[in-house]
This record gives sequence, structure tokens and C-alpha cells, in this order.
Amino acid sequence: MVFDKMELREVEVWDGNFAAAQALRQAQVDVVSAYPITPSTPIVEGYAKFKADNYVEGEFVMVESEHAAMSGCIGAAAAGGRVATATSSQGLALMSETLYQASGMRLPIVLNMVNRALAAPLNVNGDHSDMYMVRDSGWIQFDAFNPQEVYDLNLIAFRVSEDHSVRTPAIVNQDGFMTSHTAQGVRPLTDDEAYGFVGAYKPMNDMLDFEHPVTHGVQTEEDWHFEHKARQHNDMMTYVVPKIEETFEAFEKLTGRKYNRVEKYDMEDADVAVVCMGTSVETAREVAKEMREKGIKAGVVGIRVLRPFPFAEISETLKGVKAVAALDRSAPGGAAGMLFNEIAGSLINADTKVILSGYIYGLGGRDLTKAHLVDLFNELQANADAGKILTKQQQFIGVRGPKLAYL
Amino acid sequence: MSEMKKIKNLKEFSTSADRFEGANLLCPGCAHSIIVREVLNATNDDLILGASTGCLEVCTAVYPYTSWDASWIHIGFENSSTAVAGAEAMYKALKTKGRLKQPDRNPKFVAFGGDGASYDIGFQWISGCMERNHNMMYVVLDNEVYANTGGQRSSSTPIGSSATTSPAGSVSYGEKQNKKDMMGIMAAHHIPYAAQVAPNKWKDMVKKIQTGMNTEGATFINAVSPCTTEWKFDPKDTMKLADLSTDSLVFPLYEIINGRELNITYRPKNVVPVEEYLAAQGRFKHLFKDEYKYLIKEWQERVDANWAYLNRREEARV
Amino acid sequence: MANTGWDGFEIGAMLRSFDGAVDDIAGTAQEDRKYSPNNSFTASVADWRLEKPIFNKDFCIDCQFCWIYCPDISIISRDKKMLGIDMDHCKGCGICAEVCPTNPKSLIMYPEFADEETEIAQWPSKSEEK
Repeated sequence: MVFDKMELREVEVWDGNFAAAQALRQAQVDVVSAYPITPSTPIVEGYAKFKADNYVEGEFVMVESEHAAMSGCIGAAAAGGRVATATSSQGLALMSETLYQASGMRLPIVLNMVNRALAAPLNVNGDHSDMYMVRDSGWIQFDAFNPQEVYDLNLIAFRVSEDHSVRTPAIVNQDGFMTSHTAQGVRPLTDDEAYGFVGAYKPMNDMLDFEHPVTHGVQTEEDWHFEHKARQHNDMMTYVVPKIEETFEAFEKLTGRKYNRVEKYDMEDADVAVVCMGTSVETAREVAKEMREKGIKAGVVGIRVLRPFPFAEISETLKGVKAVAALDRSAPGGAAGMLFNEIAGSLINADTKVILSGYIYGLGGRDLTKAHLVDLFNELQANADAGKILTKQQQFIGVRGPKLAYL
Repeated sequence: MSEMKKIKNLKEFSTSADRFEGANLLCPGCAHSIIVREVLNATNDDLILGASTGCLEVCTAVYPYTSWDASWIHIGFENSSTAVAGAEAMYKALKTKGRLKQPDRNPKFVAFGGDGASYDIGFQWISGCMERNHNMMYVVLDNEVYANTGGQRSSSTPIGSSATTSPAGSVSYGEKQNKKDMMGIMAAHHIPYAAQVAPNKWKDMVKKIQTGMNTEGATFINAVSPCTTEWKFDPKDTMKLADLSTDSLVFPLYEIINGRELNITYRPKNVVPVEEYLAAQGRFKHLFKDEYKYLIKEWQERVDANWAYLNRREEARV
Repeated sequence: MANTGWDGFEIGAMLRSFDGAVDDIAGTAQEDRKYSPNNSFTASVADWRLEKPIFNKDFCIDCQFCWIYCPDISIISRDKKMLGIDMDHCKGCGICAEVCPTNPKSLIMYPEFADEETEIAQWPSKSEEK
């Protein structure tokens, strides 16, 4: 049975979830092994409907847990074909054991992660706790700020992840509900253009090549483990970064949409800047423009690629800025926020006097309002004017009760 | 469906070229590899194999060596079933799309796991694979204990066995719970084929493996695997223990078709008392103290009752 | 296999069973296979043994009990004939001698240092009770 192609309009009105489902369909994924969880469920529902309506030729395996979902993905990827799934939050937590195995076995898989808070207390809304939880799992992590980017980054993720110099699984993050359930205009490629960009899957070390039997998932102890993990990190640092750059360039040529590992908005002459991820980037951009009208040279930095972390680019982008805020949307659990730490690390040996402060915000889907950001930019400007940090290094914003500030 | 390998007798079987290799790290006298050999040698078709973390896995794929001559995957403790199911799904996808490199082959998909990986931690994953009816076989290497980690009890560990987490002591006879009826549970998925096998009854085993492999859909095999290390017997006696397990009816050999039709496939000419089976193993040594002898009697009653149940199921044909 | 550095192996700790392409492994005897150096066939566990089986072909009936029940793929059977023991892979468990049905046995366990020719020369004779 030959599958049907879908006629798409120049501009479709899709939410992030449907944009992801469409990208999976266009990439002609061979196996989707998945389990539903809010807010990522509509991705697999959408895919299931495509399958039911003959728009998908591959196998769709609806398993009994997220752990099994990724286990199935790993088996399918090792067998030798294009593989994808989707999850969020608790599902990711259950799945997390296998994320390390997928990356350690160097199997390309695309995971759509619709970011959601981690319990307890149980919460279905968006924050970045799940994204942060697996940040060291050896997966490439892209971050989309809106549905268009979810669509684009999915196509990009397959092409990067499956490249034989990379062979590393990739996550495409989007904010739960704020992106996943918010319909916006999305400019899709035609089915042929999209598949042409992703390219045909090229097998490597595939179990289904009966002429070359292969053993996947060996044990290594103290005599070999370190070398294998070192290789994994080396390839992330050496091969993944240029492959992402190259793929971003190819995508720009095809669509005119340009992606950067670090997205910079009004940063050329910025005195103060916030660094954040997800939908907050768009809110911050709007506020930064308004701050400029008030005479504050505000800029915004969005992290497009969280792993491999754009260490040098962050340093280069921020070292001329006077005061920077790192916005972490995840409970820090007794430490500075992850972005604060990563940014501090990238700046510590740079020739800069930038003042860095950290903000914890938006947990469990709490809104980051424009008013919050106005206050925040004003605090940064005050730090810049004083030439030193006037607040604690870590503050919570948008939480009820007495002011929380530490460090 | 490919043609079934013809195995009339042991001489003919011995012309098989093994696809499982020596210098693996399993204990001397380990029944796991005897079972694996009988399973793999039952077919000449290509194999896609998986193993859950456990003795078989840690002893056959320790870098830089593999003991597998067919493609093989290990992910974790709980998911060899789903790993192989994923590979089977990919096979189907690539077949549909015409992208198989060797489209004329008829690969068999087989996942192995110990009783810990199957009765306990991987239970849900196996249930999922059976319910979805992937075209695959799951084989439990049932040695009734977490042998790889030094002898902790699993839900397959039988009552009265001394395991490290249910040790016999001055006030304890060891394991208190009865072994889980995995065959019953798996058959309740109404899968096309489920069977209990033992390595000593190789012909029965090969027939069942071939039946399972040539059945479309998910099949489940529970193989008794006498463990020299944890059952505590001399390595040379592995087959003797296997004989005792089948001939005492502690491990009756039977199959269940479509979750309904039960066939007993081996009826020992001389049924051995359960006491002899227990006496041959160090893990039951304490049961022979006066205060615990009632447990041996209860053991025999339990085995008799189960045998009567299986016979009634067979007669009923339901 | 030498201990190589982090840049000296396949990604994902993947191992190949054979060098180059294989066609019909289930129909190819071990001696005709191109094993990769990563196949455990190329390794030895001979030093595990405390006792070793000695094979006396004079009494062997080629029943293949030893072949089917050997856990270590160490009984070399070809064309339905028992040819001998693969001493690189035999761990000395003693199952083969235990399941051997002939009288006297065709496989007997001896200490590892025993001399094969000497032991075959003084092989036990048929016993009354098997």
C-alpha cells in the first residue's frame, strides 16, 4: 500500500504539537514507539490519525509506558531506520534510564519533549524541569520558542542526528501548552521538500543487515567505560556542532529561516540582557523593545541549542554586556540555576566585567509577565549603573509570599 | 514462512553450526547456554536477538568480546522484550517500504531474560509485547533467583528456598512466597503459543521452539535453568538436576495454545518424589531438619495438585 | 585485543561478530568462519579448568549427548561424528562425562595436568553397574 501525500497551505494554523506530528509524517519516520502524556499526547494522536488515514507508511507502536516507548525506539533504531517519539515530564522521568542507553549506543532518535513540570506536587503545565533533568544524558537538545520552530527543528534534528559523523539522538523541546497548544501561523514545506531536506535514512551498524551481525549494548567496566564515554563527549564537541551549523545553513537556503545556536535579539549594543529559553524568549524580546524606548539598552539571548552547550558563543555574546540575567525555569534544588551556572562558566575566564544574576521563574506554568520583565531589566540597569550586583545572586520572581533571594 | 529445520534425532541435530560461542563468561555447568544453544540451533533462519541484563547478558557481551553470531541487543534489565519488539517493528516497516537489504530472509526475533528480568522487573514490558502480539519469542531462563547479583530472591524463587534476601536461619525456612505462575499469566494474554521447556528434554524443547518460531505472533517460553551456583550443586550435575526437575513434576512440560488448549508434552515414566529434587540442592538443605520436614510434604502436595490441575485443563480442552 | 585509546574503536561500543560479510552462518562450520577478533570464539577460558575431559574415541558411539549438553560449545561434532574437545573453550564442568552413556565412558574427567596418552592407555574397563 502506497501512502498518500498531503496538500498543505502556504501558511497553516498549527499548534506546536500538530507541527511536530506533521514534521514526523513528512520525515517518513519508519517506527514511532510512543506512550501518551499531557501535554505531548496530541503529537502521537496526530501521528496515529495520519497512520489511520494512510498518510504514514511506517509502524506505529503504542506501548504500555514511556520506558517501553524509548526501549522500542532503541530496538528499532538499532535495527536500522528512522525513529521518533514524544513525551513530557513524568514520562520523561520514567524513560530517562533509556535516554542514556540510546546516546551511549549512538542511535539516532528524535524525541519531541513538550516541557512540563515534574511532580510533586503534580502539575501538567510548562516549565523546564524535564529538559534540565536529562541535560547530561548525551542527547543533542534543541529548543523551539514557537510552533514554526518546532516544525523546523524537527526536520533539522533528523538530519543532524542521523548523520554518520554524529549518530547521536536529539530532543526538540517546546513549552507545554504555551507552544504545544497555542495555534499560530506555520509555514510548512511541501511533503517532497521536507523529505528532500531530511534525506533518506542511511543505515549504519544495523541489526537487520544479516550479512554483518552486530552486537549492541555491551558491558564495559573500569577498563573501557571511560574511553567510550570520552568518545561520546568528543564527538558531541567535535562533530555535532559543525553538523548543526551546516544544517542550519542548508535550512536557511531552503526556507529563508535562519537558526543560530545562540539567538541574539538587540544584542549589538546591549548594556543589559536576559538569557532564557522557550516562549519566554518572545516575551522578553517584546519587553526589551519597550525598555529601549525608555532609554535602557536591553537585549535578549535565546538558547537554541542547549546541548552541546554554546559555551564560546555565549561568552562572545555576553562579554561586552554590563549586566546579564540568567532565567531558569526549573526548581534549582539547592543550587544556582543551570543556565546561571553554564553562563558563569562560559564567562569566568573571558575578559569581561559582566555582572551576572540568576532568576528562578515560571515553575509549573506560572506566567512570566511583561511586568516581571520590566522590573527585571530595571534591576539589571541598576546593577550596570552601580558596577556591582545590588541584589542577591539568585531571586525568585512571580511567586507569592515574602521575597525569596539567596546566594 | 520459511521451511522448518528438520531435526529427526540428536545425530541430525548435532550437524547444527552453533551461533553462540564459547569463551563466554558463564559459570562452568551453566544451563543458560545449553538452553540458548537449543533455541538457536532449532532454526537455520536469521536471528535478531536480545537479552535483558542478567547472567546471560553480562557473560556474553563484555567489551571487547561478543559471543553472539547473530545480531543482538541489550538495553537494560527490564526491556529486552521491547527492544526486540522495536526491531521487529522496524523489520515490518522496512519490509513494507521495500528497504530491507536482504528481503528474501525470514528472520526470527527472540528475546531472552532471566526470571528476575521477566517475572519481576520486566514483567510489564513482556506483558505489553505479548498483548500487542509482536511476531517474536520471549524466552525466560528461569533459575528462580537473581543469580547474576549473588542470589537474591525473585518472584520465581520457590517456597523454602534459601536466597540471600530470604535466607534460612534459626527462625526462618527461607523464602515464604510461592513461585509466580508465569505460564498462566502469559497464557492469559491469549497469545498463540506458550510453553514450558527444559534443556534435558531437548527434543520437546526444539519442537516447541520451532512451533513458536513458526507461529505468527507473540510466543512465550519458560525454560528451567538449573543454576549450579545458586541452587548449590556440583557443575557436572546440571543435567541431573534438570532431569529431577522434570521427572518430579516440579517443572512439568506443557504448552498452551491460544491461551486455551493445554497439552502436557512429557509424562515421566517414573515420577520422582519431590524430596529427591529438593535433596539434590543446597538451597533446600535446611528443609531436611525435623522442624521443616512438613514443608517437604507440602511441596509434594503442591506439585501433585498442580499436576492434577494441568491434567484437568488438558482433558477439558478449554 | 590491545587496550586502545578513546579514538581507537567503533562508536557506541558496537562489536562485530565477523570480519567482512557473511552469508549463511547457520550453515557454516566454525572452522570455516571469519571470526572478528571481538568474537569470544577467539578467546580462551582454558585457565578456568581444574579438571579436563579426556576423550577416548574407542568407546564412543556418537550419540551426541555430550554435544547437546555441553554449555561451552566445546564438543567438536562434524557430520554426526564426535571428533574431540575444544580445549580453548572447555571450562571443565564435567557435564559431558556425566551424560556419556557408554560403558566404560568415552569421556572421563581428569586433573588438568593429567597426560592424555597415559590416561587413555590405562582407561577403565567395563564396569558391572553403569
